Amino acid sequence: MMSTRALGLGSPLRKTLFSPSLARNPSLIRTTFAKRAVQTESLPPSAAVDILNKQRLLRPSSPHFTIYQPQITWIASIANRVTGGALSALLYGFSLAYLFAPGTFDSVHVVEFVGTLPDTVKYAGKALLAAPFAFHGLNGIRHLSWDMGKFMSMKSVYLTGYAVLGGTAISTVALPFL
Amino acid sequence: MASSLLASSSKRALVRRGPSFAKSLLASRPATTQSSDALYVPGGPVYKGTVNDPTSFPEPSRAHGSHHWSFERLLSASLIPLTGAAFATSPSVHPVLDGILGVSLIVHSHIGFDSMLVDYLHPRKFPVLGRIATWTLRTATVGVLVGVYNFNTNDIGLTELISKVWHA
Repeated sequence: MMSTRALGLGSPLRKTLFSPSLARNPSLIRTTFAKRAVQTESLPPSAAVDILNKQRLLRPSSPHFTIYQPQITWIASIANRVTGGALSALLYGFSLAYLFAPGTFDSVHVVEFVGTLPDTVKYAGKALLAAPFAFHGLNGIRHLSWDMGKFMSMKSVYLTGYAVLGGTAISTVALPFL
Repeated sequence: MASSLLASSSKRALVRRGPSFAKSLLASRPATTQSSDALYVPGGPVYKGTVNDPTSFPEPSRAHGSHHWSFERLLSASLIPLTGAAFATSPSVHPVLDGILGVSLIVHSHIGFDSMLVDYLHPRKFPVLGRIATWTLRTATVGVLVGVYNFNTNDIGLTELISKVWHA
């Protein structure tokens, strides 16, 4: 601006820019200002969400836990849930059965039924109950000790993990003979 | 000169666009994202608000946070001596102990089942199935409490049952 004024060009430039003939010539304006090659569309934000959601559905899923190497850390963690769930399912199943059919699922009938089973089935069944009970109990203590801030190092996590596995193995064998 | 022209023209444009501009701003806050053609996929990603909305967090609550957590740990820890005591004593002599063990096991089980539902079938992701599962669990737990109460009052009680089945 200063330079145009210094050169004395301010007034001629202004004259050219604002001359009525220029404004009345649309073809000149079209060639002077660059044409927009891209077509744009005005969309409400909800449409933007639609587009994003559609794109999200096309995205690949992130790798699931199957990509991880089986390690005692996470195997024991999910086993804790599985064993606890299985034992709780047994408790719920029996209690609801007794609630709705107390004549069939009373202690006399249950004990009588178990008594008729062959020894192998009895011991196998007891081992099948002892294993999740021992694991969930021992691993529960392991979890509680973590909650108190104990055995938090990687070495301790593995050490306690193997201790729980060992204890579970011994209990699974010993408890059926109790 | 040119800049002042630009400023004045843009100001004019804003004034001219004023009411409709304000209206579009207000309309840019849709109530839901469910108007979408993209169907909701159960178990799929969770969309909340528009793309530019920040993540919302639940109100911090001690009842849902630390107290709940402490209660769970206390319950889990107390199951160890309770189970040991049930092993060591006769339930016919200590029916109260048997009752406490029964209720504790049910509450512990309910918490465990509920955390599974929260992890795998959250109502946020499964609006119908998740709610059905949660209420089925609650109903089942009430039924189990009644069932165990009946069994402990009218029959021999849980501890004695396990002991008898074990030696059957």
